[in-house]
Amino acid sequence: MRHPRPQILFFNPVRHALRKYQELASVAQVEVISSTNRLEFFKDLEKKYKDITAIYSKFDAELIQKLPASLKFICHNGAGYDAIDIQACTARGITVTNAPDPVTNATADLTLFLLLGAIRQLNPSLGSLRKGAFKTGVDFGHDPQGKILGIIGMGRIGRAVKRRAEPFGLKTIYHNRNQLTEAEAAGAPYVSFHELLTKSDIISLHVPLNSQTRYMIGADEIAKMKDSVVIVNTARGAIIDEAAMAAALDSGKIASVGLDVYENEPEINKTLMGNERALLIPHLGTHTTETLAAMESLAMENARRGCFGESLLTVVTEQQEGKSL
Amino acid sequence: MELDMITLMLKHVLLEVKLQSRALLYCPRRSLTLRLDIQVSHTPVAVNSATADIAIFLMLGALRRIHIPYTAIRASRWRGPSPQLGHDPQDKVLGILGMGGIGRDVAARGKAFGMKIQYYNRSPLSPELEQGAKYVSFEELIRTSDVLSLNCSLTKATIGIIGKKEFELMKTGVIIINTARGKLIDEAALVEALNSGKVFSAGLDVYEEEPEVHTGLLQNPNVVLLPHVGTSTVETQRNMELLVLDNLANALKNGQLVTQVPEQKTQASKL
Repeated sequence: MRHPRPQILFFNPVRHALRKYQELASVAQVEVISSTNRLEFFKDLEKKYKDITAIYSKFDAELIQKLPASLKFICHNGAGYDAIDIQACTARGITVTNAPDPVTNATADLTLFLLLGAIRQLNPSLGSLRKGAFKTGVDFGHDPQGKILGIIGMGRIGRAVKRRAEPFGLKTIYHNRNQLTEAEAAGAPYVSFHELLTKSDIISLHVPLNSQTRYMIGADEIAKMKDSVVIVNTARGAIIDEAAMAAALDSGKIASVGLDVYENEPEINKTLMGNERALLIPHLGTHTTETLAAMESLAMENARRGCFGESLLTVVTEQQEGKSL
Repeated sequence: MELDMITLMLKHVLLEVKLQSRALLYCPRRSLTLRLDIQVSHTPVAVNSATADIAIFLMLGALRRIHIPYTAIRASRWRGPSPQLGHDPQDKVLGILGMGGIGRDVAARGKAFGMKIQYYNRSPLSPELEQGAKYVSFEELIRTSDVLSLNCSLTKATIGIIGKKEFELMKTGVIIINTARGKLIDEAALVEALNSGKVFSAGLDVYEEEPEVHTGLLQNPNVVLLPHVGTSTVETQRNMELLVLDNLANALKNGQLVTQVPEQKTQASKL
């Protein structure tokens, strides 16, 4: 269904990719949502937003039901789309796109920041200086040189992390749903989940959150890990049982953690907060001007293509060809 | 009584890079004039990767202006009231001041993050050592780098090598990383450049007057500050100790050091 000027509804204003926004505005009717709450939005969907073709943003099943029949595309401005009920969208004939590539580098960069900070035990040092004690009482950390980095989930981000890990002398092994080709894995050995848990000095998570990966790291998995293992998570908090991780950190089984994500953001397990050997940052994975601009541009480009019947760039995996839509 | 060489071992073997010495006492036949010829060794190479690792941690943190969200989350305020955006290292120019072992290790890591490497050194390196990095003049390094990493040694010639004049020449939004020696930078000038926004952020492991840290730095939200932990790992400290012990053992056996400081290597032994 095409309109001469398709209507695209933005849930957040574009802040970075302004030129792209202007280009889009010349071919489509772009509007930033004015509804101030969910109920008001539902009412607006019946009136002023009843002809929207594409939405740039995020969604649960109830909201998806309320969307007008004209709505064909939801163009998510992020890589992880666990917040969108894909099945509900598919049932309503709505195609969902995400923004996987732009997030790769920024997320991998932050992974290394957390990995280095954790293995070097830098959190206590950062705090000690600010308290005026310089490095009094601060313990030594460890070098990454020669350590084994186990990557769980060897997609774009996992592979980008491996590339960055090389010059630090880290040896990478990985586990993935499927084994990669030698070239894609760039020489990293493919191991079973169990072997990865038992052999890694550092474990870094790079899987999407779904029913298979929720709590894939719990007390049992932690028990299998090496003593003094380091855990890094820039994927989704709920992949790890946060309380189990906190307990293992306290007991010293886990030497340190570097986390960007948490089970119930913005809340964080209290035990974790109380441990100095946890390097914690508040979900900053892609918070750079360059990456946000690239994500915005990609979401807008998908919206534009959807409106004009052109093939979409990055339809979510569950809806790709061969799957029902 | 003729005394041959008496080697006095100093009680304290100091494990800092430039501080290990062995004193030889000469007692000439007729008098007890003591002439001290102290040969000094240091621990190069052993410190390289650990220091480079810290430089990269500081760089990534500085690019993200990580201090505010890092403190906000710990105070249960998630990202804080006015979260700012950081920058990606991809395609940025990483300028290395001093392309010795540590500088080259920093360069190798920077490349993996998609950065373009340029360096200034007393003399250009061979292509094998350069690994594709571009040799530039000191001024070009200052003017054109997006991230400037200090990796040179502190000498009379390099004290305050980064001062007000240099900050004026730098790009607006430059990021300064120092894991070398605090005195390379005029700290007050750095504070001013941070406050004016000329410098986007700084990542520092060393300070002019350690363990004192300039108040201006402590009060600036756009800095990542570590307390000189460049080599504070079990493995690196052990490697440094081993090298010091090697030097001592060699000195006792052969009268020579293994890693004598460069300034002394050009002089023939005065023994």
